[in-house]
Amino acid sequence: MPPRDQETALWWARIRAAGPQLVAAGTPVPPGLLRLAEPGGTQVWFTTDIPNAGGPATLDELDLPRPVLEMPNDTARVLAACVRCCWADPAGPLWPGVAVPSGLVVSVFRAMTGRDGIVAHRAVVGALRRLSWPGWLLWDTTAAVVRLGPRVAAWNQAELSTLRELWRSMPAPGPLPAGQDDVPGPEAGDDAAEVDA
Amino acid sequence: MTVSAARPVPATGPADLTLDEVATEAAVLRLYRQIFAVLAREAGAMIMDAGLIDVDEAILEAFAEAGSDGLTVAEAVAACPRFDAATIERRFALLRDYQAVAKVVDRKNEQHYRAAFAPYVMLLFLRRLTERGGQSELHQLLTLEQLNVTKPDATQADGRASATRMTKIFRLMANELASLVQRGAADALREHAQLLWGNRSLITQAEEVHAAVLTAWPQLGQECAMLRIALAAYGDAIESAAGRLLEQAGTTRALGLLPAETWVSFARGAPVADLAAVLDGFVFDAPAPWFSAQGLAEAVESARQAGGTRLRPPRAEYAETAEPAPGDLVPADDQAELAAAAQRLLGGRERVSVADLLGEAGDWPTCRRLLAEMTAIHHHPALDYGLTWADGLRVDPGPGLAWTSEGWFGRGQARPVPAGKN
Repeated sequence: MPPRDQETALWWARIRAAGPQLVAAGTPVPPGLLRLAEPGGTQVWFTTDIPNAGGPATLDELDLPRPVLEMPNDTARVLAACVRCCWADPAGPLWPGVAVPSGLVVSVFRAMTGRDGIVAHRAVVGALRRLSWPGWLLWDTTAAVVRLGPRVAAWNQAELSTLRELWRSMPAPGPLPAGQDDVPGPEAGDDAAEVDA
Repeated sequence: MTVSAARPVPATGPADLTLDEVATEAAVLRLYRQIFAVLAREAGAMIMDAGLIDVDEAILEAFAEAGSDGLTVAEAVAACPRFDAATIERRFALLRDYQAVAKVVDRKNEQHYRAAFAPYVMLLFLRRLTERGGQSELHQLLTLEQLNVTKPDATQADGRASATRMTKIFRLMANELASLVQRGAADALREHAQLLWGNRSLITQAEEVHAAVLTAWPQLGQECAMLRIALAAYGDAIESAAGRLLEQAGTTRALGLLPAETWVSFARGAPVADLAAVLDGFVFDAPAPWFSAQGLAEAVESARQAGGTRLRPPRAEYAETAEPAPGDLVPADDQAELAAAAQRLLGGRERVSVADLLGEAGDWPTCRRLLAEMTAIHHHPALDYGLTWADGLRVDPGPGLAWTSEGWFGRGQARPVPAGKN
């Protein structure tokens, strides 16, 4: 195998195993990968650009199970809430979006589902954790801010138009409640947050 | 097998036989009986259980151990501890019936028996045949034929017999395969074809024998031509069987071409590269959870439907804003309009027949509106007009209303209607 092909295969394997990769801005883009500029200009994300016929829909065609996700509906709702908060201008591109305090996400989620403070809070914390490791979201736990992750760039134009409709139909992020709705990171102890309930 | 096949079998009727020929035929029959004793279940029937062959083998082995003195039945039972005594005794009696075992000395009270060797040879042959499916036997047979025709003292008769036998063998195989291809189900073809096809080396070997025979005895051209034809027919049958199987396999992703065990052993034993090659052309990439936009929209939509645990009951719009004004509770009134309508209907008269009113109106929608107006006027508490129905019914098949109830509309609530007037 030529060295260049080998390098491409390695990139695909890395992304498949560990999600989108953050590299220095000068790195040449291997074939088939998407290059997403990180704000700041010194780093870029590499993620796979999968053709429509090769995406996870293929698994459904082959009658194979998709990866199991805990609480899939709540997780999807939180991701939708993040899209609502972080996509400042739906007429523009989705990436990179803006970073918002995680309390805003909680407020949208609460308006969407009508759940109580502590229940919504717990659901959002769990969903943020599930969404941040595969790269759907970038969650800065110390600053308690959330951004869209590089994996959202894999949504194609048709899906983006669906998301625009969704964006318009969702409740706007409300005012940030004082104090108690700041989502603590895992280090800050979600156990403690649950004990507080 | 070659031993028995080489024996000349008398083709003439028993009446023409000399004593010698009768003795020869008896010897041949005795050999046949001995050979097939191992396959006999009881006198005149085939075995139904392959395990009985093991019993026979144990008995014959015991005889081999026993030496020239032979065995009694009890000794044979004792020598085969793996099987129960009744089974051994039954098989022993059967072998005796077929003369596969016989008394050492033929006298009445003799207890010791000796075994013939032919049954054991047959047994070995059968075992090999079942293990290797007969192909190796064919190969060995062809090797033997080759030796037969190439040995220095071979005669032309040997060559002719050899060529004839091979012609028959290949014709039989070609016929079976061809009939399976033409008429059999694909499954039957797959099951049987394993033994019949794919052995090009058989044909090669047979062609060598054929060449040897033709070189040694050119005058046997007739028999050799028959052999060539049989070989060609066998080759054609192989081709068509392969074609049929491949064609049938084409619709099943070629998985049906081989038995399932072959695929399992391939999956277990193949190197990684071969296994990976199976999935060439497929792209899988969903190790992480995937969210489609449609999925997000559905999740959000279902959140609205479920709506959490406490839903506000539906209320009217103004309920949230302010207390309703007291006047709003009074329903809208159209007293003036109704009074005007009553005046218009009466047209200055004191009272008017409903049937006439409706007859003037003509079509049903207008009549319906008139009836609604009259009913509303009748029920309005502030208006002094009344609608009174009578028993009569006016029927008119012409245009407009086909039938009309008699009734009066007029001033005053419960004014009596003069009877007898239209």
